[in-house]
Amino acid sequence: MILLSAIAAGLLVGLLTSHWRRHPYQSPEFINLWLVFVAFLPQLAVIYLPKARSQSSDWLVVGCLLASQLLLLGFAWLNRRIPGMPILICGVILNLAVMVVNRGFMPVSPQTASQLVSKNSLLDVQLGSRIGPKDILLRPDDTHFEWLADRFLTPAWFPHQAAFSLGDVFIAIGAFWMLAKPGFPVQFMNRGTQK
Amino acid sequence: MKNKLALLAFSAQKINRQHVQLVLVIVSLAMLVLGTGAPLMEGGVGK
Repeated sequence: MILLSAIAAGLLVGLLTSHWRRHPYQSPEFINLWLVFVAFLPQLAVIYLPKARSQSSDWLVVGCLLASQLLLLGFAWLNRRIPGMPILICGVILNLAVMVVNRGFMPVSPQTASQLVSKNSLLDVQLGSRIGPKDILLRPDDTHFEWLADRFLTPAWFPHQAAFSLGDVFIAIGAFWMLAKPGFPVQFMNRGTQK
Repeated sequence: MKNKLALLAFSAQKINRQHVQLVLVIVSLAMLVLGTGAPLMEGGVGK
């Protein structure tokens, strides 16, 4: 939800800025758009579909997650010239790095997780097992690259509480920038310069 | 019936290419960030 909020905020800023400058809003022009939809399919299958999510083994989820994220990284690389995309790419790489070295999932500490779920629910989750669709419950001492883990919490006033990583921050900033910084039309009107 | 079809055709003409492009960009960007991000949401216990 927090990542989608960055998209909504970026679009709002972009539209307002264009309106203020009296230029039509021009969204970024992605190339190879089909790759996003293809890359998202593995995650859709094992994470976002309820039945498949409960029946998929951890190994299948890890394989689909990593394959999907590598393909999405490929799409982002192909569109690296779009302002904001390099920042998003940094975020993806940071998230990938911490997930690869921590059994394929994003680590979250029991202290952080206790801020998001009830104690009773947390008691049912063993250390080293999955919590949430992409996360794994690990103590900080057992986490590789702990500074890249889901260790930050949204402020109390935010409508949806969540734990997020440094990589998520870069991804959100990159997505915001892509929509907030509109492109301007290539041709401008010549004002009395022609003889 | 004819009036309804005419109204539908008129409405469809208002949807220009830039609007379609914007919707595609937003949807693809949402999939990109959802696919690469990994925040843990409140109450998100369980697989």
